Amino acid sequence: MGTDHRAVWVIAEQINCHLQSVSLQLIGQARKLADQLGTLVEAILLGDKIEQPARQLIAAGADRVYLGNAPELEVYQPELYTQIAVNLASEQQPEIILIGSTDMGRELAPLVAAHLKTGLTAHCIDFVLDKELILEQRIPAYGGLLSIVCPEKRPQMATAAKGVFATPEPDDSRTGEIVLIDIPTDLPGRVKTLEIIREEPQGVPLETASTIVAGGAGAGDIDGWKDICELAAVLNAALGSTRPAVDEGWAELETMIGQSGKMVSPEVYIGVGLSGEQQHMVGIVGARVMVAINNDDKSPIFEQVDYGIVDDCRKFLPALIEQIKQYEEKKNTCE
Amino acid sequence: MIDFTFTEEQEMFRKAAREFAETQVASYVDEMEKTGEVSDAVVKALGEAEMMAITIPEEYGGLGLGYTERLIAVEEISRVSVATGMMLQVFALGIEPIVKFGSEELKKKYLPGLARGERLSTTAVTEATGGSDPTGIRSSYKKEGDDFILNGRKCFITNSHIADTITVLAKDEENPKAFCAFVLDKDMDGWKATHKEHKVGMRGCNTGELAFENCRIPATQMLGEEGKGLRVTMAAIGDVGRGGMVGVALGLQTACLEESIKFANERILYGKPIAALQTIQNKLADLKIDLEAGQLLGYRAAAIQDKGQRSSNEFAVAKYYTTEACQRAAKMAVDIHGGYGCMEEYAVSRFLRDSYVVGPSAGTSDIMKVIIGRWVLS
Amino acid sequence: MLNIVVCVKAVPDPKEACNIKIDPDTKTLLRCDVPLVLNPLDKHAMEAALQLKAQFEARISVLSMGPPEAGNIVKECLALGADQGYLLSDPAFGGADAYATAFTLAKGIRKIGSFDVIFCGMASSDGSTEWVGPEIATFLGLPVVTLVKKIVECKGASWIVKASVENGYRLAQVKLPAVFTVTRELNTPRTLSFSGIIKARKKDIDHWSLDELGVSSESVGLKGSPTIVSELNAQEENKRQVEILTGTREEKTDMLVQKLVEAGVI
Repeated sequence: MGTDHRAVWVIAEQINCHLQSVSLQLIGQARKLADQLGTLVEAILLGDKIEQPARQLIAAGADRVYLGNAPELEVYQPELYTQIAVNLASEQQPEIILIGSTDMGRELAPLVAAHLKTGLTAHCIDFVLDKELILEQRIPAYGGLLSIVCPEKRPQMATAAKGVFATPEPDDSRTGEIVLIDIPTDLPGRVKTLEIIREEPQGVPLETASTIVAGGAGAGDIDGWKDICELAAVLNAALGSTRPAVDEGWAELETMIGQSGKMVSPEVYIGVGLSGEQQHMVGIVGARVMVAINNDDKSPIFEQVDYGIVDDCRKFLPALIEQIKQYEEKKNTCE
Repeated sequence: MIDFTFTEEQEMFRKAAREFAETQVASYVDEMEKTGEVSDAVVKALGEAEMMAITIPEEYGGLGLGYTERLIAVEEISRVSVATGMMLQVFALGIEPIVKFGSEELKKKYLPGLARGERLSTTAVTEATGGSDPTGIRSSYKKEGDDFILNGRKCFITNSHIADTITVLAKDEENPKAFCAFVLDKDMDGWKATHKEHKVGMRGCNTGELAFENCRIPATQMLGEEGKGLRVTMAAIGDVGRGGMVGVALGLQTACLEESIKFANERILYGKPIAALQTIQNKLADLKIDLEAGQLLGYRAAAIQDKGQRSSNEFAVAKYYTTEACQRAAKMAVDIHGGYGCMEEYAVSRFLRDSYVVGPSAGTSDIMKVIIGRWVLS
Repeated sequence: MLNIVVCVKAVPDPKEACNIKIDPDTKTLLRCDVPLVLNPLDKHAMEAALQLKAQFEARISVLSMGPPEAGNIVKECLALGADQGYLLSDPAFGGADAYATAFTLAKGIRKIGSFDVIFCGMASSDGSTEWVGPEIATFLGLPVVTLVKKIVECKGASWIVKASVENGYRLAQVKLPAVFTVTRELNTPRTLSFSGIIKARKKDIDHWSLDELGVSSESVGLKGSPTIVSELNAQEENKRQVEILTGTREEKTDMLVQKLVEAGVI
């Protein structure tokens, strides 16, 4: 393999010995970039009893996995994780480092980038190499697409959310090297994770929902928001939101769809009271049917959907919910 | 030239008042409309937000701010709730005479509690036989030793049933030209709030009657000099009362314009929002013109008042203009809403009812013209 | 005495931010006079500091980097209850990415001198990178916890906080001095008060330029930014055939229900 360029890295993440899907998706992207650069895909994976996920990374396209396998690495420990990644990167000088925009990744990535004195681009939706083989990191902004580059500093670092990229088909016949790494012991110990508690999510999960009702600032107030929740309930749909709705305090952060939230690909998407800002719209990856209900006929959402309804959602939704209920009732009595 | 810009600090006061109104008042509007009663929660919030303290000097626990700041606060609160704006504006009518004419003892006794909103105030001048012309009142006092004995009735008194500190104007039983203004408080016997009015608008702002029966008032409760009480109450009503109504009217005008813009952008007719229709744009322009003109008149008068100069005539002009304009604005807002404007779930129907109560409050438009007429002829 | 530094940013009003567009011809931003306001998440950072000040003897310094107009939002923080304001403003600071922003703010914090706790909003509404807090921590050599949604224990020099993780939380122990980035769940920010605004009259804002910060122009602003925008492209043409359903409200609900039936949702 060529040696003009140093490796493309992915800092992978596991939870309870299960790889995060975004880590595999980024291996896919790293593979694409490494092939163009003529270099290797390497991953860092930290945890305890994680030989299996390490092999999964290789099956997905990694050539080498730096494996930190020790009880003290079981959950994300900021100092340890940062130090390991920084030490390895300083030593190996990768060309590119990709990290998933998970709760861990969003903290670890800037810590590593600042230590390496390099740039970091947030929540990318596309990676392309330009003519000089510099990584164009594309993000949506202001109704368009920004290409961000890090021309001088190395590594070039970026994060991307789960679901933006396809998960590569595993090839179990692929071979790769697993390099066990030493665990640093000389850490200041000023911050440590005591425990991480995760609960089973309530309701229909956004990522796998076939129907999503997403609401935005156009709900007006919490009562308007309740109508949107009710529409989701009668359609047995997952509830999504935009950042303004989260900022207003109507919706939980977990429901946010978009560049800095979740990426979803439902069969049917219904956007209510939202203008169609790109930061949100990029989160809807390949919905089959898209519907928008908004009062402003000039909002960009009406250029991005299959069916649009120009109306005040606060007045339209109660009527629509009633209509749907009637329809269901009729259907049930006919049956 | 004249600088028409608000200071950075005044802009921040506006932001604070707007945030307060939107977060602490807006959610009680429906309840106030339904019950017609004063919301205790709103009164408590007004006190906590120091809205009663604005013009009270700092040494008596107030904020020591000017009339411009007060106008900003009344305007912003009225934009969300005319009833609340009115209630607040009249608290100041009870406060102002004590600030301007009260003895040191009275100031110390009442102002700190009034500033914190623990005491609520009003002023009681109007009777069936006089209000804008206070010489027509019939409530009377007579002297008994060091005390005064007060008898009579007052009507259309805003905050009548919630106020516990009241400035009352009465006439000398024996001398029709001598008036006295007294501060009454809830601890005194011989006075009570009687009938509660049911107004077409400003629901949630209390208006009613007060009755005084052999109410014994110590001389220390007198404001200003004996026999010169007219000056005391006129100072409160002339500048502060009219100024407050200007704030109420401007807030309502702004609300009418904002609701109209919102509706005109939402309502689709002929496949387009009605805002695209010239006839609607014409109405929106009228609303804006009236608002701009009203703000210039009102804030100019407040600026004169803040300089310590007499501003009652300028406020008469501003009061006339803005309260008339808010009635026009409410009608136009209802017109823009078409049939929806007749439905109670649309705020503009409330604006229309409120606007008709704003008109006669603190002196009708005709009275304002009488005052302005006298001004130009003087 | 607990010394708290709150980092805040002036952002285009998020309520009007959708008016900011890319000019497809010049590929520059059309800002359309969107006013600058205090970044919504930074209000939660301010509130966190104010709540600590209510419990402990504390001094709150508020720090922002931005154009001179950003002085307004620093003033607003003083009116909310911060004790001293600092605005890092210099043409050389312009065009900074998260790295250069964090670098400059870290220099500002060093110049302020005393800091036990540094609060930042978890992200800004216009940038949404979330990097500034952790990068400040790195430049200052401090520990950081991002996405803090609850301060569990803050009595001594070792704090315990709950940080947001998907469908749950992370409990972290941190030794002060430390940086925390906060989420909306942490608290409900107070609103401005009249007396706060009056008290802010007596509070100062120090304006620090490049020289006063004592850094080279190479390490700040656009020049100090490892990342640059190489291209700004207007949105791609939409491929969907948009059909606007019109009619009375009843007709519209009828049509939409029909479409949803066809799509298999109902």
